[in-house]
Amino acid sequence: MLEHLGEKLVLRIGGSDAFGLDIVTIIMSWVVMAVIIAFAWWLRQGLNQDVEEEPSSRLVVIESLMNLLEEQFSDAFESERLQAQLFSFISTLFIFITVSNWIAIVPGLSSPTQDFNIPLSFALLVFIVSHYFGMKLNGTGNYLKSFAEPYPFMLPMNLISEIAKPISHSFRLFGNVFGGAVLISVLTAKLIPILLPAFFQAFYGLFIGAIQAFVFALLAVSYINVAVEE
Amino acid sequence: MELSASITTAAKYLAAGFVMGIGSIAAAYGEGQVASHAIDGMARQPEMEDSLLRTMVIGQAITESTGIYSLIVAIMLLMVV
Repeated sequence: MLEHLGEKLVLRIGGSDAFGLDIVTIIMSWVVMAVIIAFAWWLRQGLNQDVEEEPSSRLVVIESLMNLLEEQFSDAFESERLQAQLFSFISTLFIFITVSNWIAIVPGLSSPTQDFNIPLSFALLVFIVSHYFGMKLNGTGNYLKSFAEPYPFMLPMNLISEIAKPISHSFRLFGNVFGGAVLISVLTAKLIPILLPAFFQAFYGLFIGAIQAFVFALLAVSYINVAVEE
Repeated sequence: MELSASITTAAKYLAAGFVMGIGSIAAAYGEGQVASHAIDGMARQPEMEDSLLRTMVIGQAITESTGIYSLIVAIMLLMVV
């Protein structure tokens, strides 16, 4: 089992090394999307009821989910306007990454965030969104000038710190998920194949997975806040 | 196995062990500092608990990145080099 650790099933387009598709990651992200859509659709069915009826259990689930998201993310935004525009984006990131991390506890499935391309694409998305909002809310000229502050010779340092943000943002999620996955597969294949891996799955899959998704979303909010207030 | 190849393998495993062992000390110490000071703040002002908890998690996540970098380097030493 261990000899296949770290191997990937890659579809090469045109037979070259430059452009390949990681099949497992793509299938798993579609599975995650299907799970989220099916769950959302199932919850949506619970809303079709009379006003006078007692609230159904699905309605309560929706309300508690929305309360949770609003409690955690609404205060983090810098302004009300930013919150109204970006709350759904941040919540989507949070829900998708949480479900991606949690899906690894199903035997035979691997989480899509275990492949570096997925965290990197999310981090680049956050990078683009933060700079877009920085330019939109401050004016492009003002925003670009803010990189040469407090002194013009600080420009290279400011640029490097901007480039370092998506790198550390993506490696944080990838390292946590991938480290947990490697640890669990080594534990299962070499040490104790029964019972103990289940606890490690619960810890790395459920606990660390939820914490890292939360951290990813909150860091996205704070990167956007920093770009906006410059 | 040839001598140079076995020396390379031994160096690879040793380096991976050192990278993880030394690299995680700083991250663990930093995260402990963040948590202990956040608890100090929470004990002083329990009504600030929510925002302190959120700031603590972000601070720990940022502190953790050096540990994650050493994990990446160790995995690359073991699997790629």
